Amino acid sequence: MVPLSERSRITALVALARRLGAGLVTALAAVSLTFFALRLAAGDPVASLLSQGLTTPAQAEAIRRSLGYDLPLLQQYLHFLTNLTRGDLGVSLYSGQPVAAILSSQLASTLQLATLSLVFALPLGILLGSISSWKTRPTARRIATTLSGLATSLPVATTGVISLLIVSLLARGRVRGIQLWLPALVLGFAAAGPFARAVHSGLESSLSSPFILAAKARGLRRGRRIYWHALRPALPAAIALISLEAAFLFAGTVVTETVFSRPGLGRTLVRSILQADFPVAQGIVALAALIYVGSQMLADGLGWVLDPRLRGSG
Amino acid sequence: MICRALGDISFSYLLSLHGKMQLLRRPGTWRWSLGGAALLLGLLSGCAADPGAERELNYGLTLAPTGIDPHINASVELGIPLSSVYDTLIFQDPDTGEFVPGLAVEWSISADGLSYTFILREDVVFHDGTNFDAAAVVANIDYVRDPDHRSQKAAAMLGPLDKVEVLSPNVVEFRLDRPYAPLLDSLSQVYLGMASPSALEKWGPAEYQFHQVGTGPFRFVEYLPNDRLVLERNPDYAWAPEIYRRDSPAIDRITFRFYEDPATRALALEGGQVDIIGELPHLEADRLAKSSDFNIDPVPIPGQPLQLIFNTARAPTDDVTVRQALVLGVDRSRIVETVFGGYSPVAAGPLSANSFGFAADSAFPEFDPEFASELLERAGWTLPDGSDVRRMGDADLQLALVVPPWGSNPEVGQLVASAWEQLGARVTLTVAPGFGPLNEARAQGEYSAIGMNSFGTDPDLLRPFYDSEGFFNWSDYRDPELDALLDAAAESFTSLDRREQLYQDFAAQVRDQWLILPVRDYVNLVGSSQKVEGLRFSAQGWFPYLNDLELRP
Repeated sequence: MVPLSERSRITALVALARRLGAGLVTALAAVSLTFFALRLAAGDPVASLLSQGLTTPAQAEAIRRSLGYDLPLLQQYLHFLTNLTRGDLGVSLYSGQPVAAILSSQLASTLQLATLSLVFALPLGILLGSISSWKTRPTARRIATTLSGLATSLPVATTGVISLLIVSLLARGRVRGIQLWLPALVLGFAAAGPFARAVHSGLESSLSSPFILAAKARGLRRGRRIYWHALRPALPAAIALISLEAAFLFAGTVVTETVFSRPGLGRTLVRSILQADFPVAQGIVALAALIYVGSQMLADGLGWVLDPRLRGSG
Repeated sequence: MICRALGDISFSYLLSLHGKMQLLRRPGTWRWSLGGAALLLGLLSGCAADPGAERELNYGLTLAPTGIDPHINASVELGIPLSSVYDTLIFQDPDTGEFVPGLAVEWSISADGLSYTFILREDVVFHDGTNFDAAAVVANIDYVRDPDHRSQKAAAMLGPLDKVEVLSPNVVEFRLDRPYAPLLDSLSQVYLGMASPSALEKWGPAEYQFHQVGTGPFRFVEYLPNDRLVLERNPDYAWAPEIYRRDSPAIDRITFRFYEDPATRALALEGGQVDIIGELPHLEADRLAKSSDFNIDPVPIPGQPLQLIFNTARAPTDDVTVRQALVLGVDRSRIVETVFGGYSPVAAGPLSANSFGFAADSAFPEFDPEFASELLERAGWTLPDGSDVRRMGDADLQLALVVPPWGSNPEVGQLVASAWEQLGARVTLTVAPGFGPLNEARAQGEYSAIGMNSFGTDPDLLRPFYDSEGFFNWSDYRDPELDALLDAAAESFTSLDRREQLYQDFAAQVRDQWLILPVRDYVNLVGSSQKVEGLRFSAQGWFPYLNDLELRP
């Protein structure tokens, strides 16, 4: 009989391999979907490319041939997949730059914005979520509920322009660093909404659980202390949201980067789709899919390590 | 001033910090102090990046173009900075429309119009030290025409060019297959600006855009896509064309940033992040114009107006009478007033009023709803009793309008659609999210009218739109006579008057066939801070003469 420890290690490896496989399939599906969706919806890349020039149909045809867009769709797809497995993402139709170079030049800025937003969003979300469960202070509670409602429902485009308006009216003249902290604050505010709700619902359920009753029975008073007591078990659920938040933040950077004129992947993605710059759009989606799948796997792995109940279920 | 004060404060702060570090009596205080010092240092470093002696200007661009090599890429936006990095063989005087010497001191055209000979300046040096000569011109044209470089605009601007030859170190000849009147206009634009052949060769088409080298008043410093583009004064510039008012630039450094969201542009100007920015929404321009801190320049852009092109291959717009009714049934003045405020002229033909070849005599007529209804009746589209949709036989008067997302086309589309509904049509309006989807809609052909236009100084830009085989012949109108007119106009290089007459004849035909619904002549609303002086624009309207800019102290 195999010793227990070894058995669990095998289970872990199998689970890991399964996860990895599922993650790769997800990423491949995202990339393939993008490949075909772009070709169905974004129109003819060559026509887009030449939309501002005085071009003849013959010139357009020559360019189409040189880009390989005259080949049958399936052949283009196979070509794309082969190149992808070799790590070759192609070059931008517009700038001629390798897509990998575009990704690396824009990724840092998006990561910077997303990380800083998360830094704002986490404490703000926890604070708002806790206060909105604060039964003894109805006014504070109402304000917190309203704020987290606003954070969830106001589009980033709106809060972004309003914050720009306020800042440029208050600080006539130059404001330094406006390109980083203001968008991070705006995006962080939006991202705090879901956090606040997760913290709030976690708190509600842990406040009504037996250990709080026990704590009260032991003489713990109502008020801040008991909330702190109940908050700790409520947090892991909210923290697990981070992988979802990663997707939310990425989507949020699309708008934020445009409103605040920041470089980044989101803005590059939107433009590449509108311009039908297929290689760039595909590259960004591939990268985003990898990041998303990666962060999901990381979250799953953490859960697997932290919570013994999840082990063995694969 | 503020910087110096901050400096003083932080200096004394550091002194006190020094004291505290020695004593270390209260670690908490020490930690806060360090934070405070870091904050002040941060503020100071912000100051250090803004030295008073350098004359710096910040310029807001409204698109972040993908690809900014003017020989390869086509966007208008790239020309705003790069028109001052490159000189061209000739320049066009924005006031008279005449071509004046640039890198070429003089030129001549052979009697058959097939050969253009340029005599070049001999004192011109590229920013990288390479000498400018006839071989450099040939290298540039070869670079543009290399099929592997996939030039999106410049190659097409050369028209029927056969070859370029060095006749002597400072004489170069362009040989054409057919006469091509637009060539001088092409050679006066940044897309055919002269780049250093050694830089072109060194970097190649993917990398050159980040290391551009010209002979112009400003040197290219750096370009970070989506973030900024920086230019620096060329201290050696001594060959300014006569259209520049200064011999050399007055500004040391210009930083361009990209403000794609229209709602943020006025804010960037008011917040002091930019000194000049284009494409302001008209309400913001109104607001800024009232302030004494800002100037608003409405710059007319030559080319085609904002227009809707009728589909002549699909019912009901295949009927010329219906097209006429659809033009007369739209109150264009009111639409322009509503959507664009008081700044934009109402368009009157296939070319904007400030374009060469504009035909005032065959202007599209004003709003006349009664006559429009009458025309529809005449065409057989009658209103059944109690209905507001016209019918012919068992068909409703159905119109599909497709518009692009840019330049207020969606707002215009909405007002046009409701005007057509007033006439008794059922209208579906589709806003295509980009050029790709717009072109896709065009390829499917299920439209009655579609929005598209182009900018430029030479009216030959009409040819792709109206030639039977044109790339943008979205009206699907095919008329050999119209083709012949456009070809003749493109080839009439000797007489400007004759050329103008041909375009006016052409405009009359477009009006008689009611091929388009012209709406608004394009105007770029440029806002600038009061301290900016000498802001002028090239004949194309888009490109500022950065060389002439000055900053009031």
